[in-house]
Amino acid sequence: MKLARSAALAAVFTALSAGTALADWPADRPIELVVAFAPGGGTDIMLRALAPFIEAELGATIAVMNRPGASGEIAYTALSQAEPDGYTVSSLNTPGFLTMQIGRTLGYDPKALCPIARVVEDPGTFVVQAGSDITSLADLVAKAKAAPGAVSVATTGLGTDEHMAMLQLEKAAGIDLTAIPFEGANEAKTALLGGHVQVIGLNVGEAMSSDPGSFKVLAQFAEQRSTLAPDLATAVEQGFDVIMSSERGMAARCDVPEEIRARLSAAVEKALADPAFLDVAAKQGLPLAYQSGADWTAAMPARLARFEEIFKLVEEDK
Amino acid sequence: MRGPSAAQRGDRPDLLTALIFVGFGALGLFLARPLDGGTLAQMGPGFMPRVICGLLILVGLAVGLPALRRPLVRIEPVKIRPVVVILLSIVGFGLAVTYLGFVLASLWLILAGAMADPGGKMRQTLLLAAGLTAFGALIFVYGLGVQVPLWPF
Amino acid sequence: MSFIDLLILGFSEAMTPMNLGFCLLGALLGTLIGVLPGIGPTATIAVLLPITFFLPPLAGIIMLAGIYYGAQYGGSTTAILVNLPGEASSVVTALDGYQMAQNGRAGSALAIAALGSFFAGTVATLALAVAGPTLSVFALKFGPAEYVSLMVFGLLAATILASGPVLKAIGMILIGLLLGMIGTDRATGDARLTFGAIELFDGIDFIVIAIGLFGFSEIIANLEGSGSEGVKLAKLTRLWPTRQDFREAWPAVLRGTGLGTVLGLLPGGGATLASFSAYSMEKRMSRHPEQFGTGVVAGVAAPESANNAAAQSSFIPLLTLGIPSNNMMAMMLSAFMIHGITPGPTVLTSQPEIFWGLVASMWIGNLLLVVINLPLIGIWVKLLTVPYRLLYPAILLFCCIGVYSMNNRVFDVVLAAGFGLLGYLFRKAKCEPGPLLLGFVLGPLLEANLRRTLLITQGDPSIFVERPISLTMLVATVILLGLMILPSFRKTREEAFQEEDA
Repeated sequence: MKLARSAALAAVFTALSAGTALADWPADRPIELVVAFAPGGGTDIMLRALAPFIEAELGATIAVMNRPGASGEIAYTALSQAEPDGYTVSSLNTPGFLTMQIGRTLGYDPKALCPIARVVEDPGTFVVQAGSDITSLADLVAKAKAAPGAVSVATTGLGTDEHMAMLQLEKAAGIDLTAIPFEGANEAKTALLGGHVQVIGLNVGEAMSSDPGSFKVLAQFAEQRSTLAPDLATAVEQGFDVIMSSERGMAARCDVPEEIRARLSAAVEKALADPAFLDVAAKQGLPLAYQSGADWTAAMPARLARFEEIFKLVEEDK
Repeated sequence: MRGPSAAQRGDRPDLLTALIFVGFGALGLFLARPLDGGTLAQMGPGFMPRVICGLLILVGLAVGLPALRRPLVRIEPVKIRPVVVILLSIVGFGLAVTYLGFVLASLWLILAGAMADPGGKMRQTLLLAAGLTAFGALIFVYGLGVQVPLWPF
Repeated sequence: MSFIDLLILGFSEAMTPMNLGFCLLGALLGTLIGVLPGIGPTATIAVLLPITFFLPPLAGIIMLAGIYYGAQYGGSTTAILVNLPGEASSVVTALDGYQMAQNGRAGSALAIAALGSFFAGTVATLALAVAGPTLSVFALKFGPAEYVSLMVFGLLAATILASGPVLKAIGMILIGLLLGMIGTDRATGDARLTFGAIELFDGIDFIVIAIGLFGFSEIIANLEGSGSEGVKLAKLTRLWPTRQDFREAWPAVLRGTGLGTVLGLLPGGGATLASFSAYSMEKRMSRHPEQFGTGVVAGVAAPESANNAAAQSSFIPLLTLGIPSNNMMAMMLSAFMIHGITPGPTVLTSQPEIFWGLVASMWIGNLLLVVINLPLIGIWVKLLTVPYRLLYPAILLFCCIGVYSMNNRVFDVVLAAGFGLLGYLFRKAKCEPGPLLLGFVLGPLLEANLRRTLLITQGDPSIFVERPISLTMLVATVILLGLMILPSFRKTREEAFQEEDA
């Protein structure tokens, strides 16, 4: 019975990826996908939606495990302690993965974790009330110049995407804004609608799926316009050097055989091209932006340097 | 428990309360040392903990000092066995469940936990352990998808 | 379309066999996870969310909503039977509910809880249908300053619910506030009071504290008291509430429902604050406050109807503004979004069948829950006749699984054992843990909003008295404080408790 099943699966594999040496992987037991956030969060929903499509590509089962906490450190530590056999992979998010490397002692070695694939890139945006007289970043800057410190921007805490975007804008435009920390995008939205703050930072997925009758988006902080918001001007286009996006993907230990990592990466790439998944992703408002593990790894140092620079601004702001 | 010691003073439950309150307050203040207090406009992470701990110590003293002068009230007698056995069986479950799987952890918890109550019959306890373990595995692990291995391997 | 037309549209959507089936499934599942401590609706919905990809939007959402309010019904069951509140909002239900069970009136307590919840659910659902958009505007008026004043009032009111000295209750609230501060400071990212343990970076989970202080320490205390042989409950007198019970319950249900509907609109601790303050209000208004905590019907009816009303009305900001007010609602939002629906004013007009179908199904779901729960009472009550020697290992096991399953880590289980020990000490010191839990839930909200307020005003505290809602709350707080400090009040209070001791 078991033999027959493995034989059938093996046949599937040969069809998929002609004759690999590691015949057993990944057929004989489930692959554990460690999600660094609680069930129901953006990363969790994204990966739970994606997992069945990767399963189909690999012919393996994937068990999603949530190990939330310490902005990912708990999950990354768990991953770095797992066997390097390709049966444990985890979610990987920037800027969290990068910023925790700045001035914090970690329970794992970030260099021992290798990205498998980037799934989405989600740029930040600034959003105001639909009826607000602010319609562009220039308006916002003019308002802040007139009354330094009086314009309040809701963020989700010190050193988060929104806060770093705000600091970049302060520096680029020479203005003074007041950051008000909230517990997440939804609290911030409520405060904006109630008129308790003037501006909130959201990522583009959240911003574009918000009710257009209540919210107005000023700019996106991407290098190139996101596929989710092709009509929204970037900050750079509006003349302010603000670039801030978060990326979500998957990682494995670097000492997992190269071949297995390559197959994982290929499986994710194929899953992301599946029309059925594209449909799910479109409904969830996922700004898909596949990048292979190698490409993503190569882009990391430059991002880290940028964050280090911004963190200096954070320290000055403290 | 009344009698010759009636001359003694001190409301022991209230003194214990004071000890807990002051203890928590002092521990909090100690842990909050490295935290920045900030100003009223820019409250730092250390502001509220210090305020709360200060209040806690004050409340502790307000409970404790009058209790010293009140007539003696004893704390209800302590039996060490259930406290130690129950807590150890819980901690053991926690350690076992990750490394040995749900089945062994659950058996440990119920068999060890049953030691808290001396009068139990062995046969009954074993049956209970087997039944609850099977039930737990079925409902939690299969039914509700609790993420835990069943077996050590 | 007129209101009646919309209602008919809603019911015709909700009554299709498929939607009815998913409503029932959700309600059953919710009751199950509500009864099991630690297994919360949030985790269950997260696991079930992907399944809803394959369902029509309304069916999926109806099922998830059913799990949510089903869990509210189920949550009170363990609070009443074994003094184990599964959620913050059922902590106060345990105060009198468990005592009623000990007095052999578990059936009455469960029935009152179910019927009160049904009434509250009906009213809050009606409020959602009639005045949803208006009510959500009220919720928006609550800025950081209003929250601070509300929290201060709520915390002070919580001292009423303990039967011991006020000072002890205040101390317990303070410990709760302190415990709530453990973890990463959201505003600055600094780790606070964590002993350097990364497991504490996100703070302590409510369930860890509740299961430790209530579940574990109750077991230890019972075994210590007389060994498992000695834990005998009063003989079951009757299964159903008496006419007298109903007479005592209905005003409490009415007040609890009102309070719950309003407080449920507010993000964060709305449902918790609702059940705590409903209980406090009943105790204040009662002619026999000294009987609270000994098994009073109103002490079960008020918080249960308040938390169920709050559970329903927490849908209002989500459906009318598209803003979820808690984690559960955030999951509901993702369930909508998976199907490309963005809840909010636009959907109210463009896809009325979604909104009205959900509203109608919520009422049907509440009805189903009463129908499911009333017959179950017979079974639950039988459970109490199981010898404690067989019952307590089962409770231990369920608690341990619940704690472990939250984050899949040993640390939480050990920490819960630690809280079990602390709860044991509290018993020896005659301190009641209820206020601690409220402080723990509200503490982070109080601090965050206080800091926000003063950041926005750049350090000027006069905003608290300049804003009318905030001012009203503060005046109420001062009056309450005055009542507590007034010597005459204190005297009657002491007399009341001496009576109880006698």
